Amino acid sequence: MVTEDISKAIRRIDAVSKSKGTIKYLSDYDLDDYLWGRLVRSSIPRGIIKKINLPDLPEGYFFVSAKDIPEGGKNYLHMIATDWRCFADGDVKYVGETIGILCGPDKTLLEDLYEEINIEYEEAEPAVSIDEGIACKGGAFINGNNIHCSLKLEVGENVDSVFARADKIIEETIETGFQEHVYLETNAAACKKVGDKYQILASAQCPFYIRKSIAPVLGIKPEDIVVQQTTTGGAFGGKEHFPDVLCGPLLLAAYVTGRGVKMIFDREEDIEFSVKRHPSKVMFKTALDKDGNIMAMDSKVYYNVGAYLASSFVVLQRGCFHVTGCYKFPSFRTEGFGVATNTFPSCAFRGFGAPQTLFAVETHMCHIAEKLGIDPLEYKSRYFIKQGDVTSTNGRVVERVMIPEMLNQVLDASDYKRKSREYKYGSGRGIGISFYNHGGAFTGNGESAIIKAKLRLHKYPDGRVEILCGQTEMGQGFHSIMPKIVSRVLEIPMEKVVFDDPNTDRVPDSGPTAASRSTMIVGYLAEKAANLMKPRYDKEEEFEVETNYEHPEGYPWDQASFQGYAYLGYGWGVCVVEVEVDPCTGEVTTRGIWSSHDCGHLIDELIVHGQTNGGILQGIGWASTEVLENVKGHFKQTSISDYIIPTSMDHPKQGVYYVENAYRWGPSGAKGMGELVFNGSGAAYIDAVSRAIGKRISAIPCPTERVMDYMLHGHDFKEEF
Amino acid sequence: MEKVMCYIPKTLNEALEIRNKEDVIVLAGGSDLMVSHKRTIGLTPKFDKSVMIIRNLPEIRKIYMDGSECHIGAACTSREIAESPLVPWHVRQAASRMGAIGLRNSATIGGNIANASPKGDTPGPLYLLDARVKIASTDGVREELVSDFIIKFRTIDLKPNEMITEVILPLSEDDFDYVFWHKVGTRKANAISKVTLSQAVKFASDGTVCDYRASATATGSKTNRSRDVENIIIGKRIAPELIEEVIAAFDGIISPRAMPEFRRESCRRSIRRFLTEAEKRRIEGCRDKVIDTYDGYYVPCAPVCRLS
Repeated sequence: MVTEDISKAIRRIDAVSKSKGTIKYLSDYDLDDYLWGRLVRSSIPRGIIKKINLPDLPEGYFFVSAKDIPEGGKNYLHMIATDWRCFADGDVKYVGETIGILCGPDKTLLEDLYEEINIEYEEAEPAVSIDEGIACKGGAFINGNNIHCSLKLEVGENVDSVFARADKIIEETIETGFQEHVYLETNAAACKKVGDKYQILASAQCPFYIRKSIAPVLGIKPEDIVVQQTTTGGAFGGKEHFPDVLCGPLLLAAYVTGRGVKMIFDREEDIEFSVKRHPSKVMFKTALDKDGNIMAMDSKVYYNVGAYLASSFVVLQRGCFHVTGCYKFPSFRTEGFGVATNTFPSCAFRGFGAPQTLFAVETHMCHIAEKLGIDPLEYKSRYFIKQGDVTSTNGRVVERVMIPEMLNQVLDASDYKRKSREYKYGSGRGIGISFYNHGGAFTGNGESAIIKAKLRLHKYPDGRVEILCGQTEMGQGFHSIMPKIVSRVLEIPMEKVVFDDPNTDRVPDSGPTAASRSTMIVGYLAEKAANLMKPRYDKEEEFEVETNYEHPEGYPWDQASFQGYAYLGYGWGVCVVEVEVDPCTGEVTTRGIWSSHDCGHLIDELIVHGQTNGGILQGIGWASTEVLENVKGHFKQTSISDYIIPTSMDHPKQGVYYVENAYRWGPSGAKGMGELVFNGSGAAYIDAVSRAIGKRISAIPCPTERVMDYMLHGHDFKEEF
Repeated sequence: MEKVMCYIPKTLNEALEIRNKEDVIVLAGGSDLMVSHKRTIGLTPKFDKSVMIIRNLPEIRKIYMDGSECHIGAACTSREIAESPLVPWHVRQAASRMGAIGLRNSATIGGNIANASPKGDTPGPLYLLDARVKIASTDGVREELVSDFIIKFRTIDLKPNEMITEVILPLSEDDFDYVFWHKVGTRKANAISKVTLSQAVKFASDGTVCDYRASATATGSKTNRSRDVENIIIGKRIAPELIEEVIAAFDGIISPRAMPEFRRESCRRSIRRFLTEAEKRRIEGCRDKVIDTYDGYYVPCAPVCRLS
């Protein structure tokens, strides 16, 4: 009988094989009979393809492009929307757009041939930034106004009428930049026809997404494609939809050549030609009464979507839902716009739209407080949202909100109150604080209306139990979490629970490994299935049980108007960061990082701890050193020596705390947490830096030279906005 | 594709013979060349000329003193340099904060000079300390100041049959009262320089400056140092107006293209800080030799070397 708390850390199932390097990634596979594939891409951000000049291809070498799509096939990839073309055809809309795939057996010769390809274009003027997109620079190319998608949310009294009687209105714009995922393993995929089906091997988060997305290219059914996930060395959202961009061309190449075709990106290729986090611009208009209390907050949220919509409307929605952060304002309105530009399409990245608006609202709240001469903590705490309060979508917060308890932990550990009092603005030392949340799983009724997750447990005669679902391990620890949940219920050793990388022909579709939903939703299905299996486990030799997602009653959601209960379980977070700024150079030294999170009951404290450390560091990287500029459609930073992710030397050991707040519909009370831990550290860091230099910082990333820029030319907190 | 040769000579003489016969690319640690010539994942780097690997030539792998001068073999790695007590402090500092550990185990000082990148880590201290390069060929041996040897961006004064064999440092921190070296990297470890300033000052017994030096990297097409600028303060007592004069003159010799304001302002503030603090310490009789950008500056990656 296993009685100890499930939170107690175990050794991860993949710890040894990944540390020793014995586990096989796609590039370790013996695929010698496969051809190599090399994507041929647009080198300009916008224009007409006039001519593709290919070198003479030796026998066994192929160039496959849109014109090879067979009768009945469609030239698009299905990623929620269906606008992303598998191959550019006639024109190109961004640098890096796939034009064709060059295939051949010898990689060196293939590279030589690739270097000889010359494509002639008639170039057009691109729109690159959000502002250029809105201004329709070079002429609108989407919907006549370059707005891919938009939405509007309102709560309480109409903000315009509140503004009419406000004592003061503060307008401020907060901006965030691109972010690259920098997963350890670059993108890789392979495709080959095996029997009457196409077999895909891919480093990916969502095997079922791939087959659905690429099947239209050949006009076949998703079931005609088998996707086998291979060990995935990190993803962060960068392998949610993006593997489709590799697999679509590979599928057509396998069809045309009759051979297996494989593709492994090198690092520069992966940084230069892959999806990124959406840059954002959030314009606030906030009404204050004579005592400085917030009467209403209005905002316009702009996300740089890039050339294709793909999944970005959902990202924008989540951004708008989170723009009120952890606060409740008497009156609120937001309008969100997904702006079309000639940049590589933006896509999923840990947080999925929430980090941008959370950073914006946290920073804006700090700046209002500082303008009023109030400590940001004190000011923010006036508006903390509580259980039962109305959310940004006119739903209610279902669970208990433990911000006060979390705050106490972090205040004690960091000595925030004393430091905030003692470190004078501009003194070179600063401490900052942020509050954040993350709605777990798909929005509203998405889990029941769209995903309909399914999971099976199979018991074998030898007592082993196999977990059959589509969730993937990508470094986050899911291969350890699930067997832990199942073995705990069945009271059998973890070694008896089998959980392999999914193969779409073997496992039911349990939805994507995304949206912080895997433990919360699919883990819960596993727990339920194990409970169903338990009474039969000793009696029956071999059998299966299946569980299906059921949405709790009484929490309505209307996807057309975005009204109702957007999320049943939020993760919550508080983060404090302390810094020191070099008065000569503007260099920032992080002195301390303390955080507390509510992720329900922890399934494994060490795995959660690892996620927290990494998420917080990645969030500070986004806010500080991770500069990714797009100049005339080209990403300027294209290697890991100039795209600067933080190292463990940059930030000290973190103080990490959790509160116990079991979630009703999660396994052992667990909630989503993978994205939550990213969402707030950037704002706390920037709060600290801006206090240390005594200047308002309103845009990230903020590397050393930008800190110096703010030191020299920034606005004091007391200045008008 | 044309075939190219890879030579791995066993002695310096053998290497010089090869170099005399053929225009080979000289590869020491390979940390720059293997990157700049790399092709996509899994493929061999592509060189259009033959390559000669000199990494293990014993003659150019030594660090030794000859009188008061420190000699560093051209193929000594950053790690070996950072760890050697014979090497002057500024040079050890630069070597210890170059790139990541793996890179420091392979990158060599000869390569760092020959690469002639304005962001290179070692040239700053080498300029500061009047370092010379020793150059050998089958015709003989010659020496030249590093600051003359590096002509401009990616251009060095090296004939096709010549090789860098040593770097010679005639000065060390012992020749100065206070020293300064500060690299503003892209991050705290595994970083490329955004701007690096090296400084040193020596006072005469009457409190006047008898020597002052300042060199900056990543501030122009090559490392910047000017004796004319330094002469403004030499022979005089440090005073705020004089410091501003030095700062203005130094500002005139640097020409940063990217992030110009940040690079200029960091240099200005660092010069002001160093000279002000040095004068303060001199008056107080404080013998702490190392001055950084501010007191109590916290370096999470502890420098490999300390002052002896």
